[in-house]
Amino acid sequence: MLFASIALTSLFISCDKDEDPELIEEQELITTVVLNITSDGAANQTVRWNMDTNQTPTISLQANQQYQVSVSFLDESDPADTEDITEEVKEEADEHQVFYEFSGVSISYTSGQGDVSDSANNPLYLNSIWTASSAGTGTARVYLIHEPTAKTSTSRGGFGGETDVEVDFTVVVSE
Amino acid sequence: MKHFVPLLLLILSVSTLKGQSCVYTIEGRVLDLHDNTPIFGAIIKIDGSDLFGQTDEQGYYKINQVCFGQAKLVVSHISCDPIDRTVTIRSDVKLNFELEHHINELSEIIISDDGLNQVNSSVNESQLNADQLTRLSNQNLAETLNSIAGVSSLKTGSSIAKPMIHGLFGSRVAIIANGMRMQDQEWGADHAPNVDLNGFESVQVVKGAAALKYAGDTAGGMILLFPERINLKDSLYGSTVLNGVDNGKGGSINTRLTRSFDNGYFISGHLNTKQFGDRQAPEYNLTNTGLKETSLGFRLGRTKILKGWEVNYRRFQNSTGILRSAHIGNIEDLLRALESNSPLRIEPFDYVINSPKQEAIHQNFKATYFNQYSDRSKLKLDYNYQISNRKEFDVRRGNRSAKAAIDLTLKTHDFLGSIQWKKDFEWNFEWGVNALLQYNFSNPETGVKRLIPDHQKYQAGTFLTGNYRPSNNFSWEWGFRFDQVIIDAQKFYDTSNWISREYNIRYAEFEQKDFGTQILTNPRLNFSNISAQTGFAVGIGESVETTFSYMLTQRAPNVSELFSDGLHHSLASIEYGFIGLQKETSHKLILGINTQNKFLSIGIDPYLNRVSNFIFIEPSGVELTIRGAFPVWEYQATDVLMWGWDAYAKINLSENLKYNVNAAYTYAQDILDAKPLISVPPFSLFQQLSYTFPKSELEIEMAHRFTAIQSRFPDTNFRVNRIESGVIVQQEVDISTPPNGYHNFDLYFSLPLAKNNFKSTLRLIVQNLTNASYNDYLNRLRFYSTEIGRAVQLQLVFNY
Repeated sequence: MLFASIALTSLFISCDKDEDPELIEEQELITTVVLNITSDGAANQTVRWNMDTNQTPTISLQANQQYQVSVSFLDESDPADTEDITEEVKEEADEHQVFYEFSGVSISYTSGQGDVSDSANNPLYLNSIWTASSAGTGTARVYLIHEPTAKTSTSRGGFGGETDVEVDFTVVVSE
Repeated sequence: MKHFVPLLLLILSVSTLKGQSCVYTIEGRVLDLHDNTPIFGAIIKIDGSDLFGQTDEQGYYKINQVCFGQAKLVVSHISCDPIDRTVTIRSDVKLNFELEHHINELSEIIISDDGLNQVNSSVNESQLNADQLTRLSNQNLAETLNSIAGVSSLKTGSSIAKPMIHGLFGSRVAIIANGMRMQDQEWGADHAPNVDLNGFESVQVVKGAAALKYAGDTAGGMILLFPERINLKDSLYGSTVLNGVDNGKGGSINTRLTRSFDNGYFISGHLNTKQFGDRQAPEYNLTNTGLKETSLGFRLGRTKILKGWEVNYRRFQNSTGILRSAHIGNIEDLLRALESNSPLRIEPFDYVINSPKQEAIHQNFKATYFNQYSDRSKLKLDYNYQISNRKEFDVRRGNRSAKAAIDLTLKTHDFLGSIQWKKDFEWNFEWGVNALLQYNFSNPETGVKRLIPDHQKYQAGTFLTGNYRPSNNFSWEWGFRFDQVIIDAQKFYDTSNWISREYNIRYAEFEQKDFGTQILTNPRLNFSNISAQTGFAVGIGESVETTFSYMLTQRAPNVSELFSDGLHHSLASIEYGFIGLQKETSHKLILGINTQNKFLSIGIDPYLNRVSNFIFIEPSGVELTIRGAFPVWEYQATDVLMWGWDAYAKINLSENLKYNVNAAYTYAQDILDAKPLISVPPFSLFQQLSYTFPKSELEIEMAHRFTAIQSRFPDTNFRVNRIESGVIVQQEVDISTPPNGYHNFDLYFSLPLAKNNFKSTLRLIVQNLTNASYNDYLNRLRFYSTEIGRAVQLQLVFNY
């Protein structure tokens, strides 16, 4: 009977219901990808891919013109407190890589002014210069790769690692 | 199924060898329990026959010409009432009796044979004894049980495995450690039970809910772990096992020691530690698959014949690395892993366990008391407290990898009280109550959405079981159990999810507090479960035994099925529970036919299981995220038909040459959707040939396992749009197609090293002898690497 009473007592002791559980703010969430596109003699474009709206925004480019494209990754889950995850990417340049892949349009890109490089001097392409060679409509896919196994490649597969961001933008290139 | 044909022929050809059935010998010794002195003049009689034996001055007796089947032995001695004990005679047996001489009112005898308690006689049970467990002492529970027909393991990589019985796992299989159910199986499929077999002496597998005392919701079955039996005499004994394995460059040390006294007091302890580095597949290193584990336990108590108590404490801690390549970001990463023949990340061998990894600490405290008030009734009380903590670490950004992404603590109070009584020797009854209180806490410090919400679970149950054994050839068993289960959870839902699923209309009463993007809810769910079981064991003729058992089980959905909410990093999928799940009801029929004689024993156990409201997880759609489209897997319910059979044959080709074979097949179909069920074990065959050299007692054993391809599987594939050379190409991600069948060979050498007081054994074990490269359908990480390659293990066992 002793054990029964121990058991029952402990049941009742621990019966107090806890307070409401704490709300968890997700710490590594990326909700938004922003591309800031500037070019001499053209209007600035800011296109956003956001998790809630998840519409495919459109980028308009002119063929054979250079565009400075800067990408930023944001956590906007708390509208009152937007976090810029790009800072974390810069701090851990060796563990990250930005990669652009295009379909339907022919666009090449190089590292741009103010870009960040990792310890082996590989550019991250947070700032890049895009040039489209001909007119057309297609897709620009933006990747943020975590812990890539290679820092230079021409295809997503070549980088290895885990995909942290993969979003599509529509690209319209005019003559 | 072509592999089944040779087995059938084998059975047919050997079943004609029928031995004579009244050829067995029972012999042994009757000793005084306290001082081991022989008892002279005790009479051991087989009830209902003229056969008997009498002990000589040395306490020895012998009874010849005993028939096959159950025998009721009546042991009597001057000034004691005769006492009976029923045993099953299948071969020559040694039965030693220890008579409790010193207590006057006592007329009780303990049988100290090598057998284990039989949990249920109308269901065939499979057991592993201390020797078999020692041999596998550096493996986990599920792997150890794999040699039993009908038992398989659901794996996550190379060292996380959950036991599966008749194709069912998790909450449908109870693990009963030292008389109480382990409470850590409700957290989903990808973690192993927190138990180290080295703390136990024997394991028993019961297929079905045959022991309603422990649980009524286990449609799959039960795995019972028994601690060491204590000698009721003044003694000090123990054992130490050393293991070294080349694959993973690791090993284990485990040791146990027991001190017992003739007044019934005992104290015992065990300690086990195990460490491995990265395991090796035949063709590459499995990066980050190391393992560290420590377990310890103490028992203290007093066991007398009529009364006893025991307190015990067990602690289990481990850290398990998960293959680095299996941590992926999205379905394109998964597709790349599928297309590659080797893991995408291979680094040199290392002992360090990095993220992704799992860490678990399980502590178990138990107190037991029993008292036999007369020779007809016995009271037993058990109280058990378990604290289980599980942490999972992901590869995270911003130095967060050191911070757990999942951090769950489950505390359980469990009380089991029962009264057993007897009527006229033929009737046995047991009535009892079981109360359980459980708390789960998800640490919010993780910075990741809770996979399992904070919750309380209350459960109260009562059971009545009985058996009737009018003769050696017939027994009838039955039982009922009723459980009330209440789950009271505090769960945050994404407001968008809460609304898109129309929970805001159907479950508006659960809403507590609106936090904007998230909503706090307080679901309270109530389930009443009924379980029942009945079975017969009938002996036909002299050597055939048939068993028949029917089991009704009802199971309340567990918390992960109701509420899980999270990202699965190795499948690139989002998993959701479903709050609307109802209880699951299973009707299971198991038939058993077996025949045994000196040379041969064969048996087949077909079964049929019809489950309504079977809870399972399947793809339900696609969710677009910042990492692209993710398949959503959601728990739901359907009706399922399962059937199958387990079969075995044991042949003593000669005194020293033994052959053993078993096979199992399971069919499982989703009736409502007319498609096969996922993760059902394919046909498998296991055979062993062993030879013992008469002089040196060197034993050599060859084991072969064949696992067929699973040809029945549902299509859970999905598509991904990949950019290839500037063009978007749609590709199928094939996660459904099971891998090919495989053969696996193991080799064992076991040499007893006799030294005066030590009974030591040296073993050499080679697993995956041919270094075969294969994948297992029941491994959830099969997309990333093959199974581990050849492993050579050296084992030294000291008994003292």
